[in-house]
Amino acid sequence: MSRSTQLRTAGSGRRRTSTLAVAVTTLLTVGLPASTLFAATAPKVGAACTKVNATSKDKSGKAIVCKTKNGKKVWQAVASTPSTAAATTATAAPARGLSKTAGFDGKTIKVGVITALSGSAAVLGKPLAAGQEVFWKYYNEEKGGIAGKYPVEVVLEDNLYESNTTVQKYNKIKDNVVMLSQVMGTAPTLALLPLLKADNVVASPASQDALWVREQNLFPIIEPYQVDAINAMDYAMRSLGAKSKTICAVIQNDVYGEAGLEGLNFAADKMNFDVKAVAKYKQGDQDFTGQVNDLRKAGCQIVFAGALPTEFGKILGTAAQLGFAPQWIGQSPSWVDSLLLTPLKDYLTSRVLIVAVGPEWGDPTVRSAADYAARVKQYKPDQKPDFYFTFGYFQAQATAQLLEKAVAMGSLNRDGIVKAMNSLDKLTFDGLASDYPYGPPEVRDPSRFSTMFKVDAAAPFGLRSLQFNFTSDAARAYTFAKAK
Amino acid sequence: MNDFLQLCFAGLALGSRYALVALGFVIIYKATGVINFAQGSMVTLGAYFAYNFHKTWGLPFALAVVMAVAAGGLVGALIQRLLLRRMVGRPVFGVIMITIGLLFLLTEVMASIWGYEARDLGDPWGIDTVKVGGVVLSVKDLWGIALAGVVLLAFFVFFKFSGIGLAMRAAALDQEAALARGISVRRVFGWSWAIAGAVAALAGISLGSGPAAVTPSLGLIALAAFPAMILGGLDSPLGAVIGGVVIGITQTLTAGYQPEYAAFLGTNFHVVMPYVVMIAILLVRPYGLLGTKEVHRL
Amino acid sequence: MTPFRKDSANPSMVRDYGDDLHIFASRQTRVVLGLFLVLGVLAPLKLSNFQSTVLDYAGIAAIGAIGLNLLTGFTGQVSLGHAFFLGTGSYTAAYLGGQRHWPFLIFLLAAAAVGALVGAVVGPFALRLRGNYLAIITVGLVFTGQHVFESWTSVTGGLNGTSVAAPPRIGPLDFSRLVVFGHRFGRDQGFLYVIWILVALVALTSKNLVRSRSGRALQAVRDRDVAAEAIGIRLARYKVLAFVVSSSLAALAGALFGSYQQFVAPGDFGLFVSLQYIAMIVVGGVGTTFGPILGALFITAMPRLIEQFSDRIPGVASSPGASGITIFSLNQAIFGALIIAFLVLEPRGLAALWLRVKAYFRAWPLSY
Repeated sequence: MSRSTQLRTAGSGRRRTSTLAVAVTTLLTVGLPASTLFAATAPKVGAACTKVNATSKDKSGKAIVCKTKNGKKVWQAVASTPSTAAATTATAAPARGLSKTAGFDGKTIKVGVITALSGSAAVLGKPLAAGQEVFWKYYNEEKGGIAGKYPVEVVLEDNLYESNTTVQKYNKIKDNVVMLSQVMGTAPTLALLPLLKADNVVASPASQDALWVREQNLFPIIEPYQVDAINAMDYAMRSLGAKSKTICAVIQNDVYGEAGLEGLNFAADKMNFDVKAVAKYKQGDQDFTGQVNDLRKAGCQIVFAGALPTEFGKILGTAAQLGFAPQWIGQSPSWVDSLLLTPLKDYLTSRVLIVAVGPEWGDPTVRSAADYAARVKQYKPDQKPDFYFTFGYFQAQATAQLLEKAVAMGSLNRDGIVKAMNSLDKLTFDGLASDYPYGPPEVRDPSRFSTMFKVDAAAPFGLRSLQFNFTSDAARAYTFAKAK
Repeated sequence: MNDFLQLCFAGLALGSRYALVALGFVIIYKATGVINFAQGSMVTLGAYFAYNFHKTWGLPFALAVVMAVAAGGLVGALIQRLLLRRMVGRPVFGVIMITIGLLFLLTEVMASIWGYEARDLGDPWGIDTVKVGGVVLSVKDLWGIALAGVVLLAFFVFFKFSGIGLAMRAAALDQEAALARGISVRRVFGWSWAIAGAVAALAGISLGSGPAAVTPSLGLIALAAFPAMILGGLDSPLGAVIGGVVIGITQTLTAGYQPEYAAFLGTNFHVVMPYVVMIAILLVRPYGLLGTKEVHRL
Repeated sequence: MTPFRKDSANPSMVRDYGDDLHIFASRQTRVVLGLFLVLGVLAPLKLSNFQSTVLDYAGIAAIGAIGLNLLTGFTGQVSLGHAFFLGTGSYTAAYLGGQRHWPFLIFLLAAAAVGALVGAVVGPFALRLRGNYLAIITVGLVFTGQHVFESWTSVTGGLNGTSVAAPPRIGPLDFSRLVVFGHRFGRDQGFLYVIWILVALVALTSKNLVRSRSGRALQAVRDRDVAAEAIGIRLARYKVLAFVVSSSLAALAGALFGSYQQFVAPGDFGLFVSLQYIAMIVVGGVGTTFGPILGALFITAMPRLIEQFSDRIPGVASSPGASGITIFSLNQAIFGALIIAFLVLEPRGLAALWLRVKAYFRAWPLSY
C-alpha cells in the first residue's frame, strides 16, 4: 500500500495511461490521503529539524523526536509505543527495571494536559496549563524528574472548555500518555469519565466537584466546590449577619454551577436558611437583565455565584447598572484580576467576596508561600499571580507524588497507576493547601478547608485573604457520593 | 409595574444594539442582495479599533470613536474591493459563503491580536446610572438608544438626499437599469460595504462600552440580530430598527417572566425567543414586516 | 448553477442521454472503483489510530454532506440547519442504542427514520420561504434545536451531554473489536469498515436518486422553481422530499457520529457545524456526487493534519505561556481563508480540480 507500489503500477501500464493516471490521481486525492501525505512530508532519522522535543513520524510510521546531537538538531528514533490492545500490558523488557508502556519509553514519562487554550475559558485554561509547565520544569531540572531519572513531558491539548472536543482530544492522545495530569472543566470531565473507566486511565480534573472524590479513575486534589460553598455560608453567618438576610444564588446552567448550588443547599439545611431565588444562565449569554432582575425582585441580600469570569463580569455589570448591590460571594473560578480593569472596580471592591483555597500569593505569614512565589519567579519570570496557575501547579505536584509512588511500586502502566493511587497515603502541597488523605476512592477524605478573600486591587491577583484555611461543622458533615 | 418598565427599558437598550447590527446587514443586502455573515466580526473589530485607539494609543475617547468608525468603513470597503469585486456576476450564494469565510478569518485574527481577555473600552459612561421614577436607567444604555436613533435618521437623510444614496436606491431597484443610466454599480457596492463597516463599528462600541468590555465573542450578537433583520424585512432600514426593538423587548420580557410563568419551556428560553418570534412572523408574512415582496417570474 | 454533469472518470464521448444516465459511466470507472474497493478493504490493516480517526470522522461527515448536497446542491434549498438533523440522529442513537440497547443496524435505521420525520415536519416551511429567508430561518432551527437538546435532559443529558454506549455490533461481529483471521483491528480501524461501507451505499443511492425521474424534478426545482411548477412538477412534493432525504442522511451520520465518539453534547451541533457542512459541499463541488465526499475528507482531515504538524508551523503557540496564534485559531482562520480562496479561484470545487487534473492526464504527454 506504499506509495512506490502505486507508482510501479502506473509505470507498467503505460498504454492505458489515462485510466491509470486517473487511478493514481484518485489515490493521491482520496485513496489513502493520510499515509500518502505523511510519506510525502515525513522527515528521516538523522535529518535536520527545527524544534527540540518536537515529535513526528517517519515514512514507516515510526515515532521520531527532535533532539540535540553534537550541537545540531536532528530527528532521532523513539521506541515505538504499543497499540491500544497492548497498552495495558507491558510489552518490552524493562530498560532499567521499569517496563515500557503507553506514554513511557523507558526514559521519559508523558502526561496529558487537556485544557482550554482558546475561547472565553482560555483566561482560566492558559494559567492552569502554565502551572503544570512550571512545576514540571522545576521538577525535571532540580529533582531530575520522577525517581530522579525519568523526566516528565507534557502533551498539551486544547479542549475549548467543550465536552465533545475533550473526548476527541482524549482519543487522540490516550495511547501516548501514562495518565492525564489535567482535564479542565466539570462537564468535560464528566463526559470523559465513561471512557476513562473503559480504558482504565487516570485523570486529574482541574475542577473541584464532589462527584470526583469516589471515582476510581479520577485523581482530585483539592477540596470540592461544595465544601467551599458550605464554608462560605458559614463565614457569612459568622461575619456578614446572614442569619437575618435573604440568600440567593446565580449559577451557570451545568454541572459546574450545580456543584456550588449543592453545597449551598446543604448549608441551607444545616444552618437553617432558605435559598430564596436561583437564577441560571448559559455560558456565552450576552444579556443578564432577566436573571439580575429576578434576584433583585426576590430582595436578595447575599448572592452566591457559581459563574465563570466573563459572565460574572457581565452579571455584576448588569447589577451595578440596575442599582442592585447585594453581597456577592463568588465560587473560585468566577474570579480573574482583569475584572478590576473595568469600571466595576469600586463595585467589586465593596460588594464581592471570593471563596477559594490556599493563601494569598506570596503571603509571608504562610509557610512556603514565599518559596513558591520565588520558584515561580525563577522558572517563569513573567507569570502574574493567579490562582488557576497555582491550581495547575498543585495538580502537577500531586501527579508527581502519584508517579513517584507508581515507579516505586514498579509499574507505570494503567493498572500500575491505579494501584499506586490506591496506596498513596496522602497528597501534600508544601503547606500551601491542606493535606489530602488518599487511598482507594472509598477512603479518600478531601480537605474541608477554604479561604475567604475580599477584592482588593492592591493585593496580588486582586484578592486579600480575610480568613485563611478555615472549616465548619457543616463542611465536616458533608459526605461524598459517586458520580452517576 | 416598575419591574415591567425596567425590563422594557433594558429591552429597548438591547434592541437598539440589535438594530445597529441589523442596519449593517440591511444596507449590504439592499444594495447587493447578500446577507453578510461577517457583520458580527466587523462589529467586534470596530470595538477593538476603538479600544486600540483609546487605551493603547491614548487618544481621547471621542476621537477614538470617530477613527474606529472610519477604520471600520475602510475595512468594509477593502473587503468589497479585494474580494467581492471579483464575484460580481457570480451566484449570490457564493458571495454569502465568502462572507462566512471572512467571519472565521476575522474572528481568529482578532483573537490572536487582542487575546481572549475582556478589554475595557474605557468609555466615559462606565456604570453611571440615572433614576427616573422607580426605574434605573444606565447612561450607557441611553447613549446606545440615542445612537441607534441618530443612525436611522442619518440613513433616511442619506438615502433621500445624497447622490450616492439615490444611486443606491436605483441600484437596489434594478441593477441593469441603473447601469444603463450610467450609475457605477461597483461604486454603489463599495459604498454600501463601507457604510456597513462604519455602522458595525458604532454597534461594536455601543455593545462593548460600560461594564460589558470587549471580547472576541462580542460579535456573536449578530446571530441574534438575524431575527431582528428578518423580522423587519431584509431590505428595510426602518424595519431593522423596529425588528431590533421588538426582538430586544421580547427577549428581556421573556427573561424576566418566563422562568416564573412558563418554566416548562426550560431555562434560558429567552436565548431562543428571538428565533421563535422570527419563525412565527415569517410563517405569517414570508417577507417580514416591511420587506419587499419578491416577484416571481418565469 | 451546475448543469447535470457526469462526474465519472470517463473521457469517452457521451452519445445520448442513456449514456449520461449510467451510474458507472465506463469500464475505466469500474476499474477505478474496483481498485478503491480493494484498497478500502486492505487499508484498515495498515492505518494508524490517528489516520483511522481522521478517516472515520471524514466518512461520517461524507454521509451528512451527501445529504446536504441533495438538498442544497441538487434542489437549490440553502439550509444552515443541517447540524440540527445531525443532532437528532445522534441523540436518537444515544437514547435507543445507548439507553434502550437496540441493535446497531436497528438504531441506525431508526435514527434515519426519525431524521426523515423531522425533515418532513420542517420541509413544508421551505415551501413558504425562499433563498435568504430560508437560509436564516434554518439558522433559527439550529438555535431552537440546541435549546431542545439542552432542555430535554432525560434523553440528551442537557448541557452536560450524554455518553453514547452503542457499540457497532452486527450479529456476531463487533466492529469496535474486530478480529479477522487472527488479526485484531483497533476500534478506529474497525469503524472504518462500517462507516465507509455506509458512505458507498449512500453515495450509490444518492447517485441513483439524482438520475431518476425524481432527481430530474429536483434539479428543475433548483434551476427555476416557478418554471418547474409551470411544467407540471409538484413543488411541494419535491421540496419536502429533498428535505426528508437530506435530513434522514444527516441523522444517519449523526447516529454514526454518536456511536463512534461515544459522547455527544449540544456543542456538537451548533451553527458552526452547519457552516462546516456547507463548506464541505462548496469546497467539494456543489451538485456532484463525488464532490461532497472529497469536501468532507478535505474539511475534516485538514484541521487534524494541521494539528499534527503544528510544531513545524512558525508562529504557532506551542506552550500556554508562549505568544502566537493557537492551533485552534489557526485552523479556524485557515478554514475561513480556504472557503474564500475556493470561491474566488475555483468555485466548482475540488471535483472540478480533479476534472482538470484528469483532463491534463488524458492528453498526457502532450500538453493539450
